[in-house]
Amino acid sequence: MEVTQDLSFVHLISNASVLVQLVMGLLLLVSMLSWWYIFLKMFAIRSEVKLTEEFEEAFWHNQNLNELYKYANSSSLRDQGALERIFAAGFVEFVKLKKQHGVEAAAVMEGTRRAMRATYQREMDRLESHLAFLASVGSVSPYVGLFGTVWGIMNAFRGLANVGQATLAHVAPGIAEALVATAMGLFAAIPAVVAYNRYAHDINRLSTRFDSFTEEFSNVLQRQP
Amino acid sequence: MSATVYYEPYKLPAGILALVVHGVFFALLYFGFSWNRQFTAPATMSVELWASLPDEVAAPPANPKVEEAAPPPPKKIVEPDIVMPEKKKPVPKVVEAVKAKAKPKPATRKPAEPDTRIADQQAASAQAERIKQDEQATAIGRVVDEYQAKIQAKIRRNVVMPPGVANDAHGIYLVTLLPGGSVLNAVLKKSSGNAAYDHAVERAILKSDPLPLPPDAALFNRFREFDLVFKPTE
Repeated sequence: MEVTQDLSFVHLISNASVLVQLVMGLLLLVSMLSWWYIFLKMFAIRSEVKLTEEFEEAFWHNQNLNELYKYANSSSLRDQGALERIFAAGFVEFVKLKKQHGVEAAAVMEGTRRAMRATYQREMDRLESHLAFLASVGSVSPYVGLFGTVWGIMNAFRGLANVGQATLAHVAPGIAEALVATAMGLFAAIPAVVAYNRYAHDINRLSTRFDSFTEEFSNVLQRQP
Repeated sequence: MSATVYYEPYKLPAGILALVVHGVFFALLYFGFSWNRQFTAPATMSVELWASLPDEVAAPPANPKVEEAAPPPPKKIVEPDIVMPEKKKPVPKVVEAVKAKAKPKPATRKPAEPDTRIADQQAASAQAERIKQDEQATAIGRVVDEYQAKIQAKIRRNVVMPPGVANDAHGIYLVTLLPGGSVLNAVLKKSSGNAAYDHAVERAILKSDPLPLPPDAALFNRFREFDLVFKPTE
């Protein structure tokens, strides 16, 4: 819009003290990173849910495990969901153990479950990556913003002390520029907290799904001749 | 499974979306507020309530032309209740001294013609100076009167009048001020005969801190210590 508005906003930031500028820069970086993770996780979790649903559907409609294994391995790495990897790991381990003669059925099942468990842990770790970052951004960045604001207001009031006739016009710009830091901190924190809660819940649900699938698949394998 | 490195297909779109969100945020900051800082500072004014209007709009004392046109009004209308300890005409005294110095000259050297001329010149210049100084004195006097009236008015606002005070009761107080108008001391010099009234006025003087003083710092000497005569009515 108007150039003057633009200029005064830029002035507001460029006139701030070095520490406030540092805080603003840090918050901008953190906010960028947290939004990037938010979108990254959003896409990842959404596709994970979709792939899980697809594979569950395939699993219950197709009782031939060899075909299922082929289905799981045929899709490229990109389209492979966590559940497919868990299934593949369990199935490969089961087939390997079955081929070795003299292994007890209980030991076969035990090994299969261990293999599935390991893959499950790895997948959960992948899904939960960056969530801790979102949590710390959500809890810390308001304080960082507040720190910048307090510092800026301290400066504004110190400047006020040098002026004989104190009017609101002397402090108002300083306080406004200081409050930009709080605004940025909140802007980083609020979405991060919301996203963290949302994603933690989503991942929790996925984890329950994986768990129950592992149990069900173990049952299926146990029934195999 | 050896595949521990997973393909992350959404890095770029997520990054672009993050940039878009920040763009929106800063756009809101830019355009959501009106950042123009051309606010007009409200003009500060102090209002003093006057019981009666002064005759003449007080002219700036520094302007001598207006003074000539308008003789000092407060002297006529309001007799100043404040009696200054120092006399108001120290300047004419000096002028007289100059005159006295100038006069003997022609007396001693009468025969010499040029001397009288010089004396005349001197007398003329002394007279001009006297007129100028008179003008200055009246200008100062007007400012002093004006602020005496203001001080009176301010104290009058703060007096809680006890009942049964005679109209002509007037006490004299010796008021000592600090530069800036703070009341350092207010001592009763001469009682009005009504102790309650004396106390009320004393309290009012202390409560009126700071008293209005002329902006010219040179005039403060007149107010450093002055006698304040306070009557119940103006």
